[in-house]
Amino acid sequence: MKRMSVVTTLAVALGSIGSGGALAENQTDNMLGADRGKLHLTAGFSDLEGAGGGGLVPLAFITGYGSNQSWGANAHFTNIQLRNLHLFTYGVAVGALDRVELSATRQQLDITSGPLDGLGVMQDVYGLKVKLFGDAIYGQDSFLPQVSVGAQYKHNDGIKHGEAVGLAGVINPQQLGAQAEHSTDFYLALTKVFLGESVLVNAVVRETKANQFGLLGFGGDRHRGYSTKPEGTLAYLVTRRLAVGGEIRTGPHNLGIDDQGNGWTLFVGWTPTKNLSLVAAYLNIGSVLGPVTQVTRHQDGPYLSVQAGF
Amino acid sequence: MIKLHNLREALMNRMRPGDWFLQGVQLVVFMCAMAVAHASPTLYERIGGEAKIKLIAEEFTNAILADDRINFTFAESDVKKFTKLFHEQLCALTGGPCKYTGRDMHEAHAKLAINDAQFNAIAEDLYVAFEKAHVPYHLQNKVMVMLAPMEKDIVKDRGFVAPGTTRPPR
Repeated sequence: MKRMSVVTTLAVALGSIGSGGALAENQTDNMLGADRGKLHLTAGFSDLEGAGGGGLVPLAFITGYGSNQSWGANAHFTNIQLRNLHLFTYGVAVGALDRVELSATRQQLDITSGPLDGLGVMQDVYGLKVKLFGDAIYGQDSFLPQVSVGAQYKHNDGIKHGEAVGLAGVINPQQLGAQAEHSTDFYLALTKVFLGESVLVNAVVRETKANQFGLLGFGGDRHRGYSTKPEGTLAYLVTRRLAVGGEIRTGPHNLGIDDQGNGWTLFVGWTPTKNLSLVAAYLNIGSVLGPVTQVTRHQDGPYLSVQAGF
Repeated sequence: MIKLHNLREALMNRMRPGDWFLQGVQLVVFMCAMAVAHASPTLYERIGGEAKIKLIAEEFTNAILADDRINFTFAESDVKKFTKLFHEQLCALTGGPCKYTGRDMHEAHAKLAINDAQFNAIAEDLYVAFEKAHVPYHLQNKVMVMLAPMEKDIVKDRGFVAPGTTRPPR
C-alpha cells in the first residue's frame, strides 16, 4: 500500500509536470529537459507488465513522449476484473532519447471467487527495452518496421492465504510444481504503422518460462526451460489520439496443475493529451488452474488502465 | 500463343476443379482491382479539390505561426510565399493540377537546424490544419504517407542535447 501511494503521488506529479499547469500542447516544454516531442499514441500505453505497449503485448515504441534528444516518464494503474480473479498492476516507466525504456511494475493477483477464493499472489516486474532501428511512423517509404528488443526480470513474491483454501503451508509457486520464483523474459518487437491504411501491425516473439505471466512461477513439471512464444497486435487508428484493436498472446504450458492457454484482448486506447492515456479493454486469458479448480470456463472481463506522465 | 498453348494443355489434363475455382477467384479479384483503379478519384479530388487544399495551406501556416515550438524558424520567412508553395506542393502531391515551384525539401531546410521534436510539431500542426478544414482522418493519413519520408531531408539536428541546455541559434 505504501508503494502504491508513492506511485499515486508520482502519477499526479508526472501528469502535472508534463502538462506544465496548462493543457496547451503547442508550447515548448523545457521543464527538466522534457520536450513531449513525439506524436500522440507513439509512446504506447502501459501493458500488463509495465512495458510501453497495448494491454497484453509490448510494442517497439519507447514509452514516454520525449524525442530522441529528450526523455519522458509516466506512472500507471491497471485494474482487471476477470471471472474469478482480480489483477491490479501499478508502476513507473522512463523513456530516454527515444531509445531506452526502463520500467518497474508490481502485480497483485487476488482470487475473488470459486474454489480458490482468497488466494493471493504478488509479483514484481523490472523491464528494459532498447530500440534497435526503424521508425514505425515516418518510414512510410520502407517496409522495415521499428524494431526493439526487451527483457523483463520477474520476481514472484509468493503465495498468500493458502490456508484459506486448504493449501496451508503453500507459500511459493515451487510448491505447485514450478521450477523457480524468478526468471527473465526476452522479447523482440516489430511495429509498423501502415499510415495510408491507418493500421498498426505489431509482432512480438518472446522467450519465456513464465506460468500465467509468472504469477504461478517459472518452468514446471511438464516443461522446465524457455519456450518461444509469438504475440501480436492489430489496431486501427480512428483519430490521431484514438486507436481500437486486438491483441493475442500465447503462453507456455509448463505446469501440470494449470491449463494455460492463449490470452487476447479487444481494446480502445485513447490519448487525449500527451499527459494522459486511457485503455478500456475486454481481456480473456483462458482457463487458469483448471485441473485444480475444475473451472474450465475462461477467465475474462474488463481491463481498465490509466497512465499519466509526459 | 504460349498462353493459348498453356491454357489448352491445362484444359486437357492439368487442372482440377479446385484449380478452376482459384483461377476464377483470381480473375474476379483482378477485375475488381482494375475497376477500382479506373474509377477512383485522385486524393486531391477526395479531399475536396482546390478550395480545400487552399484552406488547408492557410490553416497550416496559421497553426505553425501560433506554435511556439516551431514558429521562430519562420521569423525571417515570407509567410505568403510559404503558404503558396505549400499549396502547390500539397496540390501536386495529391494528384491535383499544380506544379511545385519551390526548392527541394533538403535545400529548403538546409540552414534550419530542425530536430525530431520540431518536425513532429510541424506534423501535428498539419493534422490541426486538416482538422480545421474538416478532412477525414483516414484521408489526412494518406497525405501524411507522402510527406513522412521527407523527414530524412528536413531533420538536420539529430545530436543529443543535455537537459537544460539550449541549441545555439543558427
